Amino acid sequence: MIPAINVMNLNFRYEDGTEALREISFHVQENETVGIIGPNGAGKSTLLLHLNGLLPEVKTEPSSVSIFSEGITDISESSIRRSVGLLFQNPDDQLFCPTVYEDVAFGPQQFGFDEKSVREIVRGALKEVGLEGYENRLPHHLSGGEKQRVCLAGVLACQPKILALDEPTKELDPRGRRTLIEFLKKKPITIIIATHDLEMVVELCHRTIILDSGKLVADGSTHELLANERLMMEHGLEKPHSLQHRHPHR
Amino acid sequence: MRHDFIDRYSRIASSIHNLPSVLKLFSTLSIIIITVAFPGNCYFFFPTVILFLIAIIFISTIPVGFIIRRLLLMEPFVIGIAILSIFQEGGWEVFLKIMLKSTVCLLAIIIFSNTTTFTDFIRLLRKLHMPVVLVNVIALMYRYIFVLIDEAERMQRARASRTFIRQKRLFWKLQGSLIGQLFVRSYERGERIYRAMRARGFS
Amino acid sequence: MHIPDGFLDTKTAIATTLLSGTAVAVALRRLQKNLKPSHVPLLGLSASFIFVSQMLNFPVIGGTSGHLIGAVLASVLLGPDAAILCMTAVLLIQTFIFADGGVAALGANILNMGVVAVLGGYPVYRILYRILPTPRGKIVASVFSAWLSIVLASVFCAGELAWSGTSGWAVVFPTMTNIHMLIGIGEGLITGIIIAAIYKTKPELLETSLISSSPNFRQSTILYTVIFSVALLLLVTPFVSDWPDGLETVAATLGFDARGIASNSAGALLPDYTIPGVKNASIATIVAGLVGAVIAFGSAVIIGRILIPKSKKQTVQ
Repeated sequence: MIPAINVMNLNFRYEDGTEALREISFHVQENETVGIIGPNGAGKSTLLLHLNGLLPEVKTEPSSVSIFSEGITDISESSIRRSVGLLFQNPDDQLFCPTVYEDVAFGPQQFGFDEKSVREIVRGALKEVGLEGYENRLPHHLSGGEKQRVCLAGVLACQPKILALDEPTKELDPRGRRTLIEFLKKKPITIIIATHDLEMVVELCHRTIILDSGKLVADGSTHELLANERLMMEHGLEKPHSLQHRHPHR
Repeated sequence: MRHDFIDRYSRIASSIHNLPSVLKLFSTLSIIIITVAFPGNCYFFFPTVILFLIAIIFISTIPVGFIIRRLLLMEPFVIGIAILSIFQEGGWEVFLKIMLKSTVCLLAIIIFSNTTTFTDFIRLLRKLHMPVVLVNVIALMYRYIFVLIDEAERMQRARASRTFIRQKRLFWKLQGSLIGQLFVRSYERGERIYRAMRARGFS
Repeated sequence: MHIPDGFLDTKTAIATTLLSGTAVAVALRRLQKNLKPSHVPLLGLSASFIFVSQMLNFPVIGGTSGHLIGAVLASVLLGPDAAILCMTAVLLIQTFIFADGGVAALGANILNMGVVAVLGGYPVYRILYRILPTPRGKIVASVFSAWLSIVLASVFCAGELAWSGTSGWAVVFPTMTNIHMLIGIGEGLITGIIIAAIYKTKPELLETSLISSSPNFRQSTILYTVIFSVALLLLVTPFVSDWPDGLETVAATLGFDARGIASNSAGALLPDYTIPGVKNASIATIVAGLVGAVIAFGSAVIIGRILIPKSKKQTVQ
């Protein structure tokens, strides 16, 4: 089966020379939900930015990242953008249009849909995130959770095949977080989440990847990895509460 | 909420608010242009226009007190510059005319800004074929004014909780430094926004 | 310095709108030739930044406070074209949404605070920075040009008020210019502090203007110079001296009598003096201006020294 995401020996260095990612290799099957965890500065966000071609700025061949077996090149970049919907950490960075409608419509408009289709897509996306009727609302009048949902709608409006989320629960209150988790549970799509929210990882992801200092240090079943207290502590994490009394090999 | 101070009454559904934006802009501009161009010999003009504007205010159901407060906010500046006009032949007449004209125009624009939502205003600018770059800059600017105000407030509060000396010199240095940091943050935010734009197909 | 409605007459409003409109069009043209997609959010955020910065208080005496205009700050950071664009965006919103500044006077306000402040301040900044190409030199250059930009803007503002017959040149020119020579100190100081802060936080942002002008900018630089000169001719020079027949002919062709306006205002204020009286008061202010400029420059150097102490200077490559 063609993996949805295939990362082969990915290396990345920032302009100032700092190494961010070192020889990362993993793959994600279609409809899998994978969590990426690790201490701050591990490279989680940087990794996500490689999945839709935002990084590296200058593409090399062959590409280290393939989406549904298509390598990310200058040419394939724009279609990959549609396939991989990336949700950024801070909603204010992503919600840049004057109204909710215009922001959710941004993606479909960029991809060339006509106005009528755009309107339908926007309505559908807003309905999917539970924000029906929000079309004319202004971003600065929305709560953090609502903003996040608008951003999610904006990503969904691009009709992606893969959802990549960067710290999605960071700005959310408990209710918002619960709504998001339930939404992701029901969505039949490939999902990859970079997060500190280990409880969410336990709930949503069958598989987890641990990143530390740019290297992939573990890749396996969530319950096995996260219940392994020593492994977690070694990489700046801790065993989540829900697994406190769980034996690693149960 | 603080951020309402601009748009507070632009979302009411009165018959004035519901008029097409082009008409609202056109009438506002006409009133202003006519008032400005008016030679000022006929003193029936001002009462007529003012009564007309007051009627509009009532139909639009915007609280009169709000309008008066916005008007009074601007008056000190108007008077400040207008005073210079007194020092010439017939100065008092010039002064009076200026005060009347500026008050009428102020009223007109206050009514316009409180009966037109910002999004309608942007749409209007696009319809009037204002250069795309300029309109986009304005739209983005408006969107992030509140974000930056919040950021500036947070920085001010953080600074205030660690400042115990009340010195004007220090304040200037800190305030300027705050603005400098605000720019750096704005620049970096601009980069993140660009990334988000690209993630959804912008090129 | 936002002029409200009712202070400018029709011809002044039209002339200033045409002048500033042309300048903005030139700025847009120059920008578009070189505009990268990444510049759009930068421009928007910068305009937002200028807007918010203008709101922040700098207490002066008693309850009064000063505020930044930011034209030179924007030029140093983003280049002159982007600066003109940002200032225009800010003024547009201030006028239509905040009623701060008149609608018919928008052309004049953009001309003063967007075009003249930028086109007058930025070249001076470049020249000074070329003479002192150090971080401290950048501060000195910014401080002085920021001061200058305010003074220049006020001169043109005075010209607009005088040409409209709102106030006599002999009154408005000395008043506005002298007041703004003082206010300009605030602008210069604040601009310097901001640039120094950016230098300490993220100096890469100061290396070159963040949005560069199009390469073949000689043509449009000429356009800018023309616009500035026409504005100067219309709004300032008719009043400053009794120019001989040359200008009078130009003025007569344009349909107004410059000398007439000047003599009326002067005559009313100083009934026993004729045009030489205007000349004297104007020249006195100009002399004061030159003295002020020297003082401002000296202050700029001192400010530069305070903001970037010697130790920092030596560590710069």
